[in-house]
Amino acid sequence: MELSSRNFHDLYKTEIRNTQLRSNLSKATLQAVDKRSRSFEEVDFVFLRDEAKKIKQESISLLNDLLSQFEDKARQNNCTLFYAQTPEKANAYILDVAQKHGVKTIVKSKSMVTEEIGLVPFLTRYGIEAVETDLGEYIVQLAGETPSHITTPAIHKSRREISELFHEKIGTVLNDDPSFLTAEARRVLREKFLSADMGISGANFLIAETGDVVVVENEGNARLSTSAVKVHVVVTGIEKVIPRFSDLRIFMRLLARSSTGQKLTSYVSLLRGPRTRGEKDGPEEVHVILLDNGRSGLLGTEHQEVLHCIRCGACLNVCPVYRNIGGHAYGSVYPGPIGSLVTPLYFGEQNAPDLPFASSLCGNCTEVCPVGIEIHHQLLAMRHEIKSARKDGLEKFIFRNYRKTMLRPGRYRIMGKVARSISRTPILKNLLKGWTAYRELPQFPSRSFREIYKSGQTR
Amino acid sequence: MEDDREKILASIRRGIRGSDRISADRSSKSPLFARIGNDFKSRFAKFSSELSALGGEAFVAQTEADASELILARIEPNTSLFIYDDIRTNYGAFTSLLTESRQARFGIEFGPGYDKREVAIFDSAVSGCLACVAETGSIVMKTDMRLPAALAARLFILAKESQMLPTLDELFTDRFSNFEGSNLFLVTGPSRTADIEKELVTGVHGPKEIIVIFLQH
Repeated sequence: MELSSRNFHDLYKTEIRNTQLRSNLSKATLQAVDKRSRSFEEVDFVFLRDEAKKIKQESISLLNDLLSQFEDKARQNNCTLFYAQTPEKANAYILDVAQKHGVKTIVKSKSMVTEEIGLVPFLTRYGIEAVETDLGEYIVQLAGETPSHITTPAIHKSRREISELFHEKIGTVLNDDPSFLTAEARRVLREKFLSADMGISGANFLIAETGDVVVVENEGNARLSTSAVKVHVVVTGIEKVIPRFSDLRIFMRLLARSSTGQKLTSYVSLLRGPRTRGEKDGPEEVHVILLDNGRSGLLGTEHQEVLHCIRCGACLNVCPVYRNIGGHAYGSVYPGPIGSLVTPLYFGEQNAPDLPFASSLCGNCTEVCPVGIEIHHQLLAMRHEIKSARKDGLEKFIFRNYRKTMLRPGRYRIMGKVARSISRTPILKNLLKGWTAYRELPQFPSRSFREIYKSGQTR
Repeated sequence: MEDDREKILASIRRGIRGSDRISADRSSKSPLFARIGNDFKSRFAKFSSELSALGGEAFVAQTEADASELILARIEPNTSLFIYDDIRTNYGAFTSLLTESRQARFGIEFGPGYDKREVAIFDSAVSGCLACVAETGSIVMKTDMRLPAALAARLFILAKESQMLPTLDELFTDRFSNFEGSNLFLVTGPSRTADIEKELVTGVHGPKEIIVIFLQH
């Protein structure tokens, strides 16, 4: 897929000047944060988070066994499994399945992995229409944009903008009432559900013990994308497998609260393969695609815990950087604090060298993470890796000399004199112009503390 | 098309080699949720308050006749109502009372692999359920026909008092993990979205109204 995360500096500068965007984001994220905290009143967040973290650590440490167990169970449930190392391979497989069934229209529910592999533009190139059926995703698809938030894809758009978009693209009258706009989307999408032969979804969890694919959602579009079709294709990452059915008692209490501040989403679908004997509907074929795309390479590294992420989006809502620049500035399908880790890790540091620096390291993200990922520590570690790999001669020279200066009193005094004298000329200001563009350089005193002390003029 | 199974599993094995196999000890049964009373009355009170907060409704009916009245009062004349097979089997008197009424046009029999457009015409559906969860106001469904309950604008659920579970802890157990068939759905309130400026809108693709009736037996 196309990544523009290399241009982060240009992107954020444009986005941060968009006052409409900042107002939309601020309203939506503050509301989400408030709802989230209220939803945890009845349960113990810290206890659940620690339990979830333990289960995720277990899942990753046993990933090989759990995938094999899931595979056996899913095959027993008559699913077809396909492992794909790269996005290209996953896309080619899905195209193959679609072409074998002569599919023209696909209904798609929300899935970050399909964004990661660039599935929709790929299928479009082969003449297959893949319609996003989640309302937020449908809005961004109509606008020709990409999602700007993991769980609220159209968070950057106001109702007025959406009303104008619907008017232009699907011919509705101009009316910015969200109920009206939702009803219009339902009308258009209902027809797509009734005519599509194939559905594509992601998976929130894969259960090794039973072979179940768990899909969590609110609108009912995922339920229809996985039920009202002849062929259902699940596209998900290998890290989504958890050991037991009973583990859901932890994750179900955490996921909806963290993402949307609900105790539970409207729908939790536990899908155990194609329709069985006696069932009158449901898909006749279910394919589960397990994508690697850089994930297995994180095992055994200090970034392994990034694989615990359940994509709730809570870290985006609390991030002061995300709230001001929005998701598109990151230039990646995975925005926000977690995206600043996932993007360089999955797509290579060279493709997103600045994203780990797009953080104030305030730690809000770590505090709300429902699976206990130390996001800001991870970001700091990535910065260190990126800086160590870069041959930044000037920076190294400065720090080497800074160290020497701080260790030798004589040198410290000389450097102090130099700094005080050039602080009165424009040299220092020019040298630090990146920093002084938005800040005042503090005034240096004319004499050092030691000089003042020695002269006895302490007042 | 050949897949990358061996390559990926080998890469995983390389990555986790030498690291500890962590086992999350799940034997600890520490409660994850404040206790809800053992009696049906307390559980119903919790269930009802959770479901109402989401825009659904919950009732207790003494008889099947009371249950059918509750439903008939909520459907407009000449709308269509789909009755699930489990209702016909388990609630005979209720089914007769509904079908005798003139208010609704009733479900037709569907064979396997029916045309989904035939189902999309139903305004309402009435179904049984596997269980209800008081903690969240959820209904647990496992059906041989997924679409009527997913497409209708109004969903009625009949449940027995004995089907009420206090919390999600009782749901995610072996008793329910061994379900037969291809699906298990948890339905918690109406279909909803807040994708436009975080404003809540109900009835997106699924039911806008959820009415759960517990029958006292």
